[in-house]
Amino acid sequence: MTTSTPRVWWKTAVGLVLTGLMLFPVYWMINVSFTRDQDMRASPPHLFPTNGTLDGYRAVLDQQLPYLGTSFLVGLGTVALTVALAAPAGYALAKLRPPGGPALSFVLLIAQMIPGIIMAMGFYAVYLTLGVLNTLPGLILADSTLAVPFAVLIFTAFMSGIPDELLQAAVVDGAGRLRTFWSVVLPVSRNSVVTVSLFAFLWSWSDFIFASTLAGGGDHQPITIGIYHYIGNNNQQWNAIMATAVVASVPAAVLLVLAQRYVSTGVTAGAVKD
Amino acid sequence: MTSTTRKSTATRGRGGAANTAPPRPGASRVRRSHRRWAWGFLAPVTLYLLAFYAYPLYRNVELSLREYTVRSFVQGGAPFAGLDNYRTVLTDPAFWPTLTHTVVFTAASLAFQFSIGMALALFFRQHFPLSGTLRALILVPWLLPLIVSASTWSWLLNSDSGLVNAALGVVGVDQVNWLTSPGWSLTSVIIANIWIGIPFNLVVLYSGLQAIPTEVYEASALDGATGWQRFWSITFPLLRPVSAITLLLGLIYTLKVFDIIWIMTRGGPTDSSATLATWSYRLGFGNLLPEFGPGAAVGNLLIVMALIAGLVYIRIQRRQNLR
Amino acid sequence: MTGLSRRRRLAAVAVTALCALAGAGCSSTTDGPSDGGAYLVWDPYPQFADDSEWVALLKKCGTSAGVTVERTGYDTTDLTNKALLAAQQGNSPDVLIVDNPVISTLAEAGALTTTEENKLDVSSMEANLLGAGQRDGRTYGVPIGANTLALYYNKDLLTAAGVDPASVKDWTSLTAALTKVKAKGKKGITFSAIGTEEGSFQFLPWFWGSGAQLTALDSPQAVSALTLWTDWLKQGHSPNSVINNTQTTSWQEFATGDYAFAENGTWQLANAEKLGFAYGTIAIPASAGGPAPAPTGGEFVSIPVQNKTDRYAASQKLVACLTSADNLLTTDTTLSYVAPVAAVQERQAAADPKLKVWVEAVRAAKGRTGDNLGTKYPKISEPLWTAVQAALSGAKSPREALTAAQAAATAR
Repeated sequence: MTTSTPRVWWKTAVGLVLTGLMLFPVYWMINVSFTRDQDMRASPPHLFPTNGTLDGYRAVLDQQLPYLGTSFLVGLGTVALTVALAAPAGYALAKLRPPGGPALSFVLLIAQMIPGIIMAMGFYAVYLTLGVLNTLPGLILADSTLAVPFAVLIFTAFMSGIPDELLQAAVVDGAGRLRTFWSVVLPVSRNSVVTVSLFAFLWSWSDFIFASTLAGGGDHQPITIGIYHYIGNNNQQWNAIMATAVVASVPAAVLLVLAQRYVSTGVTAGAVKD
Repeated sequence: MTSTTRKSTATRGRGGAANTAPPRPGASRVRRSHRRWAWGFLAPVTLYLLAFYAYPLYRNVELSLREYTVRSFVQGGAPFAGLDNYRTVLTDPAFWPTLTHTVVFTAASLAFQFSIGMALALFFRQHFPLSGTLRALILVPWLLPLIVSASTWSWLLNSDSGLVNAALGVVGVDQVNWLTSPGWSLTSVIIANIWIGIPFNLVVLYSGLQAIPTEVYEASALDGATGWQRFWSITFPLLRPVSAITLLLGLIYTLKVFDIIWIMTRGGPTDSSATLATWSYRLGFGNLLPEFGPGAAVGNLLIVMALIAGLVYIRIQRRQNLR
Repeated sequence: MTGLSRRRRLAAVAVTALCALAGAGCSSTTDGPSDGGAYLVWDPYPQFADDSEWVALLKKCGTSAGVTVERTGYDTTDLTNKALLAAQQGNSPDVLIVDNPVISTLAEAGALTTTEENKLDVSSMEANLLGAGQRDGRTYGVPIGANTLALYYNKDLLTAAGVDPASVKDWTSLTAALTKVKAKGKKGITFSAIGTEEGSFQFLPWFWGSGAQLTALDSPQAVSALTLWTDWLKQGHSPNSVINNTQTTSWQEFATGDYAFAENGTWQLANAEKLGFAYGTIAIPASAGGPAPAPTGGEFVSIPVQNKTDRYAASQKLVACLTSADNLLTTDTTLSYVAPVAAVQERQAAADPKLKVWVEAVRAAKGRTGDNLGTKYPKISEPLWTAVQAALSGAKSPREALTAAQAAATAR
């Protein structure tokens, strides 16, 4: 890569503008998080929080930090469970193609159409009898339903691109199917594993319906529930709500940037050479 | 081994993104063990589906076939109503407009999300300084709880104190009532939904692009193909399986969207931005006196729509495999 | 429901397996109320953290009733579904605090016990407040505090425009005041006409103030009320954003100092002190003069039906404690509400003279589910807010909109 040519920097500039456009609403959220109540609906709106306030952040840092930890644990748990369930299934559907496979993909598609609130009501009834309401594993399991069907379909789409020759070569080498999966298919699919993990993490991070129905009353509340501390019966504290969202996105955004770094360093080449 | 792999992918790609090897005849014993292995790999997910989706799905169907009142919802004993709830919903004057909104909302969202996501993916594929970081940052909207992102949009689009109208005012455009006029509300929620959907399309398509080996491009560069030709003759066909699944998933997620609309306009004013999903929610949960039956019936109609889309997808996929 | 048991068992296996994988974490289950031990209290005050006065009061009342209290604050829109679902599963909390119009829905569902069954004394409660919790002569909860709507005004702005707030006595004088304000280049009045219960709540003082009844949405009086609002929008006295305003958004608009009037509730009193200008409050005027009846807001404390009837005794002590005079004073001061008991209202007004207006407003207020409307109210309220939205957005004329609303309300 020749990074110093002017053409490349021109691209960076375009990239910055595009990202800026996409992130403008996020900027607005940050702006509101610093805004005093009397300036919230100023007309014309203030582009910068002049006479800003830190009240929102004060409230958040006092009350919200423990929720972040829960969100992280739930996010990581959801990623692990999703990949563990979906990767083998994707492999089977893409490469072993058993009869009944298409039907299963079809069911997976339909499964995602069930409204979240109906899913949550179902889980509530089941969890209540099992006594796993307000537990971390319970929430992880529920959140994984947001990602598993998606993950299986994505793995199937990506793994069907793996050349059969590669797998046959492994079989000729004497590897069993489990070993083929573990030491050939998974490494080659690193890219899709990262994609799936990313979405599983993001979905569980921003989930509200499951969190509120299944963990709303316990010690393990994620950050999306934390936001509801500022939504009262008749009144909402918008600077604190937005501040919570900002505080919640910073660590996750850092994680995203790091993860993306890892993907972008020559994915395909690295994966196949392994 | 590396080079063989790549060459074979490339050949395969030129052949039109087919990913199936023709079944080899003979050796039924092998095939049987093959099948056993396949279902071994599939078993966890199958059990998982049965355990966690069957009950809610059953419940949604059951809700739609009975005449539930709040009393019978809690105490049980709701009388069986057959297809009455569906009849109620289908003959409701709100049904056709709502269906139209759903189709417009879904089609417009999908078209823009996909093409913008694809353009961004192609752009970010060219490695330039900060490309990785910027690409990651574009995902930040996904980290925000929907209540926050949707509220931010209604903030920006507010008729009187919104930034969009303030900016339009600078260039001399009159106040547009984005969220409060029946003519604009659907457009406004579509804009917000496109914004929310771009990161998803970007990530999936970008990963798809990453899987295309660079040698394919190098070969065509020698042939003297332009960027546009290269996209249509190489990138797009190779990306077809990933594009298809992205669109299909996008369709399903968009049909389901209700929180964004609900927070921004409550489906209004006068149902002008109501979709089947918001209608289902309004019937079942958005009122002091829930109507679970019709709400579930609308929800099931949505499932049927997704079912049709899924069938179309499978048919297209099969045709591709046969080729 | 028996068909579910197999699936449940399957789910049980999965969860247990997951628990085993995850190691600890499953043991920390919160007890359902039927397990004995902690008494569960659900309230719609998620804004109160565990270290707040409200939670301290709950714990204190628990201690005096001889039980431990485990409290959860839910978002108010979420709480109705939650309560219904919990009732369906036979897992209701021991004490449930909900928004007053929800009481009749939960009572209809058979999810609440009556005050008679649990020997809760409601005789000291103001009749107009208690009405929202009554159906067919039975009472299903005890009001914990009330709020209602009035007009806040910006003193500085009105002085500059030469308007004496005391002159605003009926709709004509109010609109005249708005015109004067507009002449000064300022904005008139903001309210919330959002397409939810909040929108109906805000429209009702004008609706009732015109002499209209909820049983006839298309009466000429009702049309005159909706025409008043629609004309304000057309003449630029109200911002177009009211169609989508929640009461919070509307308050934020008022807080900018650009608006002369805002229709808002008792709960904004604490925020009103933080305004950058002098403010005052007047009652919402009726069409022909005098204060219009405003709807009552506020929550009820109720005891949901339990499988184990021996739990009621302690729940009764809890509720009695929460609604005792001294505790009502504490709770309603924290919430910026008016107490439901006359004696406590006097104490509130004595402690804070500003509350006097509000105490009077609450006394004149009317329950939404009262007039024995009960669960008919939601079926009237939804067409009503839809009509308001249709007229304000220009989709229909006020008359057409209300005619359609009346048709929708009677069809269901």
